[in-house]
Amino acid sequence: MRRVLWLAWRDLVLEFRGRTGILSVVFFLAVMLFILAMAFGPNQQDLQSAAPGVLWVALAFAGSLLAGRAFGLEIEDGTLDDLLLTAGSREWIYFGKLLFQFALLVMVGLALLVLTAGLFYLPMQHWNWYVITLLLGSLGYAAISTFYAGMLARLRGREILLPLLLFPLVIPVVLAAVRLTQGLAEGIPISELSDWLRLLLVFNIVYVTVCAILFPAMLEG
Amino acid sequence: MQLARSEQTSRLDGLTMSILGLGGLGAAVGFFMAMTAPPDVGQGFVARIFHVHVPVAWIAYLASFTALGYSIAYLVRRKSRHDRVAAATVEVGLIFMGLTLVTGMLWARPTWGVYWEWEPRLTTSAILFAIYVGYVVVRGAIEDPELRAKAAAGIAILGSINVPISYMSVRWWRSIHQTQSIDLSTGRIMVDTAILIPMLVNLAAFTLLFVGLVRLRSIIAARQAAREEV
Repeated sequence: MRRVLWLAWRDLVLEFRGRTGILSVVFFLAVMLFILAMAFGPNQQDLQSAAPGVLWVALAFAGSLLAGRAFGLEIEDGTLDDLLLTAGSREWIYFGKLLFQFALLVMVGLALLVLTAGLFYLPMQHWNWYVITLLLGSLGYAAISTFYAGMLARLRGREILLPLLLFPLVIPVVLAAVRLTQGLAEGIPISELSDWLRLLLVFNIVYVTVCAILFPAMLEG
Repeated sequence: MQLARSEQTSRLDGLTMSILGLGGLGAAVGFFMAMTAPPDVGQGFVARIFHVHVPVAWIAYLASFTALGYSIAYLVRRKSRHDRVAAATVEVGLIFMGLTLVTGMLWARPTWGVYWEWEPRLTTSAILFAIYVGYVVVRGAIEDPELRAKAAAGIAILGSINVPISYMSVRWWRSIHQTQSIDLSTGRIMVDTAILIPMLVNLAAFTLLFVGLVRLRSIIAARQAAREEV
């Protein structure tokens, strides 16, 4: 457990020291939101109805950009082999990287949420439920992206292969998260939206478990 | 010894050819039976596409289950034969999935009035199609055979698990497909026997074709692997 936290912490520190990583992603998303707002706007109602979709599509793009960073530095510095040489089973590498990806996604997601609220007039009365949706959705997304990023880490064309594999698998996450956000924005009581919350939970449990079991096999050799 | 064994697995055997031949013959008979079957009460002659659409879709999902099985078998046993069969299953399954989508769309146009409807089964099939396209592309991108086999197995397993989840998510999202022809949970059959029999003949024929094609593809893959080793 300590190892998992250390690995995630180290990656986060490196990410923030690097400066080029997360900041440029956030600015890229801000520009993207701007363009999308221009495409949908300026009518306030149109923007409002597009907001949940925009939020989650933007986050999905951010996720595919950030996914490469999970193992990018390890490959550049050749430290992946050192990680693999540490004693014990290898699931902890997955959990460490998952935690790192999850933290990145949540941070970017929070920034996105604020930006969407501003640019797309997303009503924020239920902000706590938005955050819960964001946490669950990011975890599901990170579970898959971390797995594939590790699997394709040493491959040359991984920047294009990663989204190709990632997007079809995360459709349930995006769908559920968009529906939840939309329902909350329209003021539908949370009890009527609990199916979607349950779907996200089931997705997370299934995929985190399966990915953790399969991950060591993907890294061997 | 090694050479003898690889030759044995890569020989184009009579069994494969007879399965393919029987499947082709069955498909021809099934086609004739489907064309002479009485027209549907509600949809008329249009409904005859049912005899292709339903068996093809079943085979596509059969392929998905088979690929899952062989991928797990590969990760557990690490025999390259399992990987070759899994890859063959996905490739042949991709064809059947594509046929499912095309016949589904052709059927949707006269009955629902649109080519595409965001319906759970249709959407799930499209998602699975996309996942298998990714599978084939990634296989083509990795040169190391062991790494390729492991990555492919990972994709196939995650992709198969995704089927029920995305089915449920799209189902809650919205729904308009016909009821299933055979309710799998109760075993109740919802179509007339005159229509059911040609469909089952076609199903048997396509299953044979599927098995034959997978065998053929695995044999080709085994020959390729043997050549790379030399």
